[in-house]
Amino acid sequence: MRIPKLRRVTLYILLVFLAFLFLLPLWTNITTSFKTLKDVTYTTPIEPPLTPTTEPLITAFNIMQRPLLNSLTFTVASTILSCLLGSINGYILTKIRFKGSNIVFLFFTIGIFIPYQAILVPLVLTISKLGLYNHVGGLILTHTAYGIPITTLLFRNFYALIPDSVIMAAKTDGAGTWTIYRRIVLPLSLLPFVVAGVFQFTSIWNDFLFGVALARGPWSMPASVALANLKGTTTVMWNLLMAGTLWYALPVLVIYLVLAKYLMRGFMAGAVKG
Amino acid sequence: MFTKDKMVALIFFLPSLVLVGYFVYACIGWNVVVSLSDWKGLTPSYNIVGFDQYLSLFQDPVFLTSLTNNLILISLFVPGSLFLGLFLAILLDLKVRWEGVFRAIYLLPFALSFVITATLWLWMYQRDVGVINTLLEKIGLGFLKSGWITDPNIALYCVVLAIIWQFAGYTMLIFLAGIRSISESQIRAAEVDGASGFYLYRRVVIPQLKAPALSAFVVLMVFALKAFDFIFVLTGGGPAYRTYVLALMMFRETFSMNHFAYGAAIATILFLLALVIVVPYLYLSFRREAE
Repeated sequence: MRIPKLRRVTLYILLVFLAFLFLLPLWTNITTSFKTLKDVTYTTPIEPPLTPTTEPLITAFNIMQRPLLNSLTFTVASTILSCLLGSINGYILTKIRFKGSNIVFLFFTIGIFIPYQAILVPLVLTISKLGLYNHVGGLILTHTAYGIPITTLLFRNFYALIPDSVIMAAKTDGAGTWTIYRRIVLPLSLLPFVVAGVFQFTSIWNDFLFGVALARGPWSMPASVALANLKGTTTVMWNLLMAGTLWYALPVLVIYLVLAKYLMRGFMAGAVKG
Repeated sequence: MFTKDKMVALIFFLPSLVLVGYFVYACIGWNVVVSLSDWKGLTPSYNIVGFDQYLSLFQDPVFLTSLTNNLILISLFVPGSLFLGLFLAILLDLKVRWEGVFRAIYLLPFALSFVITATLWLWMYQRDVGVINTLLEKIGLGFLKSGWITDPNIALYCVVLAIIWQFAGYTMLIFLAGIRSISESQIRAAEVDGASGFYLYRRVVIPQLKAPALSAFVVLMVFALKAFDFIFVLTGGGPAYRTYVLALMMFRETFSMNHFAYGAAIATILFLLALVIVVPYLYLSFRREAE
């Protein structure tokens, strides 16, 4: 809609002010990560450091190194696995007609919405029984399983757009289910794989609940748990805590800067966070 | 008819069916069974005692406080995020230059982990060095300085404010997509009829945002019910249970105190509350798709 010039100026002032409010926490996070403890006390959080130092960042990295590596391991593994399974499910649900396919889709969709508290006790018991408690493998299995509902939804919505005639043509040429998937559907799947992949990577990387319930041990804990612990032990060392936050946020910030467009599509698909 | 094709399909389907069937459905059922038992302590007990846990829950002041806090949270956070998101969406719809940049800035908090955003707000709410008190002092409003999350009277509202900040970008995204899907010709027609500015939005645009509002509403409601990470890190439920919520209580009872049956009962109640919101919504969207 078009609006008069004076009001347009007010609009931009408002937009910039709001942007300031949304970025303020991140700005103080960055400034504080480069401050000495003395600067934390004697400068305001908004001001840049008087004597910039990378020491908080180095110390925080040393503490968070192993948890960051753990997070990276299970996040990448579960993202790939849940996207592959979601892609296969999406293909079967849209391109292979069978009775009750809607029921099966509903069976998956409900999984998106359940509060994970409702499965937490049995989950911990199961993972312990499998010998995967305090083990990155337990988190890979968990994040893969609970990722399937949303990836199935995302791929199904994309594959619904591929015309059935393409599949039919291949079928009359004698191609089987697996061949059609590999030769026709998969090559058309770059976009859904990016959307689902970015979405899954972000939500698995950001998870705290599964991490704190399944892997609190020093060798297996994810970065989210390590950061929460860092907060517990160093309440006064704000520069260290902010530096740890920055390290943990970094991969998602990079993805957001480069691929925000695709992440937004994931958020839009009825995605539920947390 | 069971062709070779369908066999192949079933084999590919199997891992997902087994994983979701077990980790979602069987685990929900198992949790309900635990909630009906008397399991307390580290040795599992499946001695079924019926609804005892549920009965004691409703006599437990901590549970009632948590439930109340969840309800307050929902009644402020859900409308707050919807209105702020709608406001941001309308601002960005006014043919703004660098719209993409503003949109990305407003949505950024939503992409971050709750552990990160909670740590940032913990830092901002600090009494002595936090940016909020520092700024208030700078602009001459020093008398408004407060302990924020350590003040029992306002702690819960501070939590609400912070999560509205995190979710406003999400509702903005949903509403903006909704506004953009309204046909240009319809807006033109209303403009020709003399509608403009606020009136145009109130009479023409907003009434057509029911579907996006509904899906955002469901997402926000479910989140507010199960809110855990953010509060765990920001306040830990304090001061004096003022920000204690059901998901936090469930976690503490189960994993700190080993009251497995009790924790499972809280989890079941959370699950049922979520169903009340989600089932009608899924029913509506599946029916719409079928038409």
